[in-house]
Formats: sequence, C-alpha cells, structure tokens
Amino acid sequence: MSNRFLGNTEMNEPTPQPTRRSFLDWVIGLFSAVTVGAMTIPALAYFWPAAKGGKGGDVEVKEAANLKPGESAIVQLQGKAAIVRRDASGLVAYSAVCTHLGCLVKWDGARKEFLCPCHAAVFDASGRVVSGPAPAPLPAYKVKEVSGKVFVSTT
Amino acid sequence: MALKHSVSGFLADRYDMETATGFLRKQAGKRLPPHTSWLHVFGSLSLLLFISQTITGIMLLIYYRPTPDEAHKSIQYITAEVNYGWLYRQIHAWGATLMILAVVLHMTRTYFFGAYKKPRELTWVSGVLIFIVTITFGFTGYLLPWNQIAFWATTVGTESANKIPIIGEWLRYFIRGGDVVTGETLSRFFVVHVIILPWALTGLIAVHLFLMRATNLATLEPVGEEKPIEPKHGIPFFPVHVCKESIVAVLLLAVLVTLSVLAPWEIGEPADPLVTPEHIKPEWYFLPSYQLLKYFEGPYGAFFGIVACSVPFLLLFLWPFLDRGKHRHPKKRPIAVGIGLVGLIGALVLGYLGHVSETEQTFFGTRYHIDHYGVPHRVADKSRDEGE
Repeated sequence: MSNRFLGNTEMNEPTPQPTRRSFLDWVIGLFSAVTVGAMTIPALAYFWPAAKGGKGGDVEVKEAANLKPGESAIVQLQGKAAIVRRDASGLVAYSAVCTHLGCLVKWDGARKEFLCPCHAAVFDASGRVVSGPAPAPLPAYKVKEVSGKVFVSTT
Repeated sequence: MALKHSVSGFLADRYDMETATGFLRKQAGKRLPPHTSWLHVFGSLSLLLFISQTITGIMLLIYYRPTPDEAHKSIQYITAEVNYGWLYRQIHAWGATLMILAVVLHMTRTYFFGAYKKPRELTWVSGVLIFIVTITFGFTGYLLPWNQIAFWATTVGTESANKIPIIGEWLRYFIRGGDVVTGETLSRFFVVHVIILPWALTGLIAVHLFLMRATNLATLEPVGEEKPIEPKHGIPFFPVHVCKESIVAVLLLAVLVTLSVLAPWEIGEPADPLVTPEHIKPEWYFLPSYQLLKYFEGPYGAFFGIVACSVPFLLLFLWPFLDRGKHRHPKKRPIAVGIGLVGLIGALVLGYLGHVSETEQTFFGTRYHIDHYGVPHRVADKSRDEGE
C-alpha cells in the first residue's frame, strides 16, 4: 500500500513521504474513476424503462357499456389487462392478470369462476383463490356507471 | 502457383511468417488422447452451429423488423415472399434447437469423462457460461416472431423473475422495459439477441478454445498423473479428428435441411395481449424448469421454485471445485457418475412430464388425461361404454 500511494520508499525509512510521481498517479486515478463514473451513471439510467404506465384514476371502458348480465370483457386499462363483467348486482372489474405467472384469466359463466389457461389457477367470482398455484387473489377495481358510460379506477 | 508464391513472398518480406505458420502447423499436428472418439465431436459441432446461426441470423436481419406491428408480418414476408427465405428461417429455428442439444451433449461427455478436473476447471466454467448464453439466445430469439405462443411464453418466463425477493419486481420491469410485455420488450430482446449475445458468445468461445488448446484434451489418467501423449499412441488432430468432425458437419447440414423441409416451424397467430392461448408451453430446453416450478405452490412457492431451478446451474458452475477426486475414468467415479445420471434422468423425466401435461395420451391401449402435475387419470371411454 505504501508503495502504491507514497512512492518507492525504502523499507527501513521511518516516515515515507509522497513523491511527486505517486501524487500524480493518485490524481490521475481519481480523475479516471470520476470520468468513468460520470459516463456510466447516465448510461445505466438510459437502460431503465422510460414508460411509467398510467397515473391511475378513472378510465373510460367503452367495451363494458354494452355488456349484458353474465357477459364479460377483457380490456386494457393504461396498459394493464382487466376483466369487466356484469352480474345481477351490476358491473364489477378485476385485474385479469393471474397472480401466478401473468397469464390472462377467463370468466367461466357456468362455473362462476375465473380460470387461468396456463397453470390451471381458479379464482371465485370475487377474485379469491379457489385452487391451483396462484399465491394471491385478483385485485378488484372500482367501477362507476355515469349516464351510460363505464369508468374503471385502478387506484 | 505463381500468385501463391508472390503473395507468400509479399507477406514474408513484411511479417515473421515462420512463427505464424509454425504455430498453425503445431496446432494442426497436435496429438489428441488415444480415447478421443466420435463422442468428442460435439464441441466443434456446437461451434459450427453457432457459425450457421450467425450467418442465417444476419440473412434474416435483412428483412426482419423488430416492432409489434411489423415483426410478425416481416416473418410472414420472409417465409412467403423472399427467395429461399423459408429455408433460412427454418435452418435458423432448427439450428437453435440443435445447437442447444449439441452443447448439452458436449457437456455430458465432458462430465462423464471427468475432463473438467484440474487443470481444466476454468475451461468447464467458461463452458457453463456458453451453455447459459446459448439458452438465453433461445429465450430472446423465441419472442422475435411476435406470435401468440412466443408472447405468452415470454410473459410467463419474465414473470418468474418477479418471484425473486427484493429485486424481483425491479428485474421484471427492467427486462420487459415496462410492467407488461410490449414493443419495449421486443426491442430489448432484439438488441440482446442480435448484438450483445453474439459478441458475448464469440468472446466466451475464444476463451474456451484458448483454454482447451493451452491444456490440451484430457486423457483418462487421474489428476496429476497425466503423461504427455506419445506421437505413436496419440490421435493426430489433423487429419484424423478433423476428418471425423467434417463427416459430422456434413451430416449436420443434411439433418438441418431435412428437418427444415419435413418438419417446418409454424409462424403461428400474431401476438394478442388480450387473449392468453390454452396450455402454452416453453421450448423443450425449458420444459424441465417449467414442470419443476409447478410443484411449488402457495405464497412463497414460486420463490422456492426458482431456487430449485437455480440449484442445478449453480452446481454446474461449482462442480469442478466440489468433485475433488483424482480419477477421471467413469468406472472409477461411481458417485459422480451416479449424480450425473440422476440429474440427467431427472431432467428428462421432468421434461417429458412437462411435455405431456394437460394432454391426453394412450398407454397400453388405455386413454389417460395427464393433469397439470403430470399425474395420469384414466379417461372413461364413452364410445365403448355406450356400446356395452
């Protein structure tokens, strides 16, 4: 260490002094590290995805306006898939993304369950896990109907 | 002849050609261990497939367009319109699968012949890196046609990253270029597939070949007792082994073209982010991991599943440092050979279960439905029941 930072000093010398050369080595090393760091940080930031997705809030879902009781539709909500269906009490919406590995669930009207086609996860009408490998329920979204238009909120 | 003389004269006037040609002569004349056989051709076969993949890949790049709107259409265009486009697309697709097979066979031979032992541990480690890069080539290239199966297999594959604690969500977001698989993912996979991985693999192959040449091929003698190969016992690399490799290379080209013509890869339906198709399955080389993941359920299931899938790769990296026995001959290494066989058979069984899961199969005249976990359930034969 002493040689690296303080120059070539004799082993028996009591207080080694930095030489001009070792000081310059140290300064060059520091500036090189700063330069490489200054180039690397923006480059790493460049690779980070710029798209942040939607900001949440109410999104109008035109496909859901004409759903009849028992029918369902898979729609895009700010880039994320949701499943909207109309039951006896009105419209309900859940994330359509299976919590297991991200496939889209389908509504099985006869069994009144959401089924995932990839690894056979089953969720009940409220999105709770019934069977299969899903670790968590399907998140529910708020639905509003205002003068014939349907709005779903993902927040 | 005159041209050859004038070219060699031109070079000899300027460069130390004696050293260069002497080096090449020495490499070509090197003696390989006496047990070197047809089992030793899978390494060069892998290299040949990499060269074929590079050439056909560059050819496909001329017409391929990496955007969600155009990717699938450009593949259709290559297949239907471009002269011999169908052939080069098929050779690229089949070449990918055969390259992974060749690398696996090469590793299997190396493992069972104990060739990873001292002093060749780093040759093995560089080989495991080559294996991982080759698989990543398969994973990234699979998405590029932007068809339904590719889109959803990539969704599931990248979702697995989310199950890694702490960094999982960050990692998935980074790999996908967003929350879900989109055109951003396609761009990322495209760049990784056509720029980053080819150069990474070129560098790794250079290191691997350098290390292989520096330590020569392993004999079957125990560690520390390897004797120099005597010329009369050794097998000349040129022409004997090169001849074997050339025969295999010609056969490979025949197999590639035959498979391309008789068993073409389908283009499939264009990707639809709102419809997940039934029973999507990954390529054969991911089937063992795919099936293994299914047995881990519950809130932390996927995490432990990923751990279980990572352990074999970690073991591969560390194996030369864990197995410190001196013997190389398979008959003198019953434990290492046993572990290797269990691993290999385990992967084959899991892969088979993954392949047949959620299908119906007939065994000994009885029809079975194979469930998600690979367990067969007898299917009631309606027609026979009705007949009786």
